[in-house]
Amino acid sequence: MSCSPFDLRDYFFGELPDDERRQADLHIKSCLSCREEVDRLRSTQAVLLTVPDEEIPQRIGFISDRVYEPSPVRRWWQAFWGSAPRLVFASAAMLSVAIIVSATYRPATPVANVDVVKLQADFTRQLNEAVVKAVADNDAWHEERTAKLLDVAAKYAAREYRTVYFPEGSR
Amino acid sequence: MIFRAVEDADLILKARRGEVEAFNLLISRWEKRVFNYLLRILQNREDALDLSQDVFLKAYQNLRKLDDPQRFPAWLFRIAHNEAYSLFRKRKPEGELETTERPEASAAFPIELSIAVTSALNKLNADQREAVVLKIYQGFKFEEMSEILSCPVSTVKSRLYTALELLKADLSPLKVRGVV
Repeated sequence: MSCSPFDLRDYFFGELPDDERRQADLHIKSCLSCREEVDRLRSTQAVLLTVPDEEIPQRIGFISDRVYEPSPVRRWWQAFWGSAPRLVFASAAMLSVAIIVSATYRPATPVANVDVVKLQADFTRQLNEAVVKAVADNDAWHEERTAKLLDVAAKYAAREYRTVYFPEGSR
Repeated sequence: MIFRAVEDADLILKARRGEVEAFNLLISRWEKRVFNYLLRILQNREDALDLSQDVFLKAYQNLRKLDDPQRFPAWLFRIAHNEAYSLFRKRKPEGELETTERPEASAAFPIELSIAVTSALNKLNADQREAVVLKIYQGFKFEEMSEILSCPVSTVKSRLYTALELLKADLSPLKVRGVV
């Protein structure tokens, strides 16, 4: 049982903060049982380390082959989507654009309910009035023209009549 | 002239731009550690070598997903951990996990010691053994181990300290007999 104020195993593995490590150092110097505990940990570690790392039997290496390498555009695209900050930036930009568009875009004012029957009746009435007016104007023009022609014809007839029946010098 | 060692972070940035040679240099720095990590938890050289290659291939393919290049070691070992456990899951029904290789004697220490250590490690469960490998042999901090194993630091410490108690009891006779 350790009487150290800190975990001796944390101390042994160098995982204590500096100030706690200094306090543990002081305690271990003055406490035989804690010193023995640290020594036991050191011995166990030493025994484990007697089995050293082996050399790797075959070196690992990659060969560059441009045929299999992605194009610069594809690399950029993969890098873009592979980067969390860029993805967040792109999402934020799209959200901003959506907010701006929704704030500035005003949809056309909806057309008020239209009374189609009334509209058709008005149209028919206006059409009829226009037709009546056009017929009346045409009739008036023809009447005026006919009157002028009759007037011209009457004057001509009167002159001819005088010529035929009252030759010059006959009176 | 100022010489500056090329940092892993520089190599990662170059590899991200498609420079395969930069990634090969990165591999040369980490392949031994990854291989030994896998060897100690899989206890099979062929599997460890095959998975080491798979780990670096996956690392290359996913290098752009690594946000902070400073976290490369923990990220790399997280891939290795996932690969190893994927293999465990595939092989468990066949019972192939039980077949372990006999340790080779190192030049500095007798075969008896290697066998004793390997045997003691084999008595641990897979989680405890992996905690010991990551801490004792790979020197990761608890925070990094937590990231690699995807579990809280308290769980990492619990696994490691339980394992150390078992190893201490198992390996202390060696000390008494003066092997160490």
